[in-house]
Amino acid sequence: MRKLWSEFNLPTKISVTWVSIILFLVITGSFLPLPNPTEYDPNASGVGLFSPGHILGTDINGYDLLSNVVNGARISILIALISVGVGGLIGSAIGIGSAYIRGKLDITVNLLFNILLSIPNLVLGLALVAILATSADPSTPIDPNRRVFIIIFSLTVVIIPILGRIARGATLSWVNREFIVAARSMGMKDRHIIFKHIVPNVLPAIYAVIFLAIGVVIVAEGALSLLGVGIIDGVSWGAMIGRVAGDFTYAPQSMYVPVVVLALTVIAFNQIGDHLRSQLDSREGKI
Amino acid sequence: MSSILKLENLRVRFSTHRGQLEAVRGVDLDIQAGTSIGIVGESGSGKTVMSRAAMGLLTGSNVTRDGRISFDGKVLSDMSREEVRNEFGTGMAMIFQDPMTALNPVRRIGSQLQESLRVRLGMSRKESRARSIELLTLVRIPEPKQMLRKFPSQLSGGMRQRIMIAIAISCNPKLLFADEPTTALDVTVQAQILELLTDLRQRLNMTMVLVTHDLGVVAGNTDYVAVMYAGEIVEQAPTTELFANMKMPYTEALFKSIPNIQMKAGSRLPVIEGRLPDPTDRPLGCGFAARCSYAQEKCFAEHPELEEAKDGHLYRCWFPLGDSIPRKVS
Repeated sequence: MRKLWSEFNLPTKISVTWVSIILFLVITGSFLPLPNPTEYDPNASGVGLFSPGHILGTDINGYDLLSNVVNGARISILIALISVGVGGLIGSAIGIGSAYIRGKLDITVNLLFNILLSIPNLVLGLALVAILATSADPSTPIDPNRRVFIIIFSLTVVIIPILGRIARGATLSWVNREFIVAARSMGMKDRHIIFKHIVPNVLPAIYAVIFLAIGVVIVAEGALSLLGVGIIDGVSWGAMIGRVAGDFTYAPQSMYVPVVVLALTVIAFNQIGDHLRSQLDSREGKI
Repeated sequence: MSSILKLENLRVRFSTHRGQLEAVRGVDLDIQAGTSIGIVGESGSGKTVMSRAAMGLLTGSNVTRDGRISFDGKVLSDMSREEVRNEFGTGMAMIFQDPMTALNPVRRIGSQLQESLRVRLGMSRKESRARSIELLTLVRIPEPKQMLRKFPSQLSGGMRQRIMIAIAISCNPKLLFADEPTTALDVTVQAQILELLTDLRQRLNMTMVLVTHDLGVVAGNTDYVAVMYAGEIVEQAPTTELFANMKMPYTEALFKSIPNIQMKAGSRLPVIEGRLPDPTDRPLGCGFAARCSYAQEKCFAEHPELEEAKDGHLYRCWFPLGDSIPRKVS
């Protein structure tokens, strides 16, 4: 562990630290001695940074920003982790499988991936959420839990082709290597070859992209909220941004705080992903 | 002696965007159990494709294989992929040309060695570990225990080739294909690996097919030699007979192009001029005619069939060497 840490450069160290803090807040956020994120303080609406009782200030309605950022991390990060995890798993399975089998299946899968990738991430996510998150009766808003589920599902669909393509490309570069033929020549079954010979070689490429994908999803969740189809009334970074969009001139901190936190988190995940990718490149060079 | 591998009219075609490419054109080969046969030919002559097709390792969707392959009394060419797989490892195994790419870079030597023992022979973790140490000793690897923990990138080419051999012989195959086992190694290691293979073959009572482009490699290590050119066997004979009495001009040209230590310094190495005929567009006559210094008109017009001289010496030439037929030397 210490050896791993010493191999990081400074930006990576900062990023890993930041991500660790965020993950710590995700787990412990609701136990910390902070004001209730959904209760407003009538005596302090729109107060600035470092006000007594509200370190990061409040928004125009008096909601505590620090508490919202800390508790919002839970939903925002969970959405990102679940959709990247599930999407990554499905995408990798499809990508590795189709690259291993080749033929018509692979051509079809590749075509589908290309079609999905040709639609900008946000547009695709927006379209899916807009179609799915509708209730039969327009006057009753849909259940917030269902909305979260729909957002996760939509972002998963966005992630599948991104990771699927990476997995497919990496598999294609390994599947024709001599050691695969060698394993076949010893009577190994396809399933064994995929899990023991291909997956261990493809995984590093997937890891690197997973971190970049987490960044993409965090941004997408925020953007969906800003556009009014994300989590509107819940506690998430996207919800904070979406809610205060109109109050920017009166209480700018209510915009800055979630945006800065979100940006730092995305940059940190990207930095870790880039680090893994550069490690991967130098490793490939050695083989 | 019984036949262990019999190829009858084996043909392998690849469909490419330039048309049908026939890499192996009707090879007949009968390999007797316990012997060692060398398949010799230049790059592109079809020797690797032939050995892989014989084993059933060419699985691409653009490959078609025709002909009958019988192995150890079973007709491989009629069996399903699943059934053929059961012969791999325990029936036949293959050593690959480039030991740098034939081992999985991210897995330890131990797990790669034990893989076939556990999957194919159903050994326990402990048994397979003991057996792999035994195998590593057999291929003369010093400190076999430490070797199990290493990654392929930590080993030299010669060491990796020994590991490949250990993997190939791990399930006691009856037939071992060695596809240019020494091409990627330097000359001093070449000799060691060949000596090891010959020794193991005798000790484990294996039949060996040694695929190489080097007639010198074949000389001391095989009982029979088949010379391949442009996807066909052009000459086949017991090794001593072949070297004593070459019939095919191609074999002679191959033999002459082996660098000789007695050659004068600075003299040009003898080479076979020209190239193999385009595999998608084979010439009408003998494939070697355009490069042959003895070629006559007939050689360009008619394709020679495989003929038999005495002692099972087969050749594919209208005007074999050592004949008294007068010919004009061009």
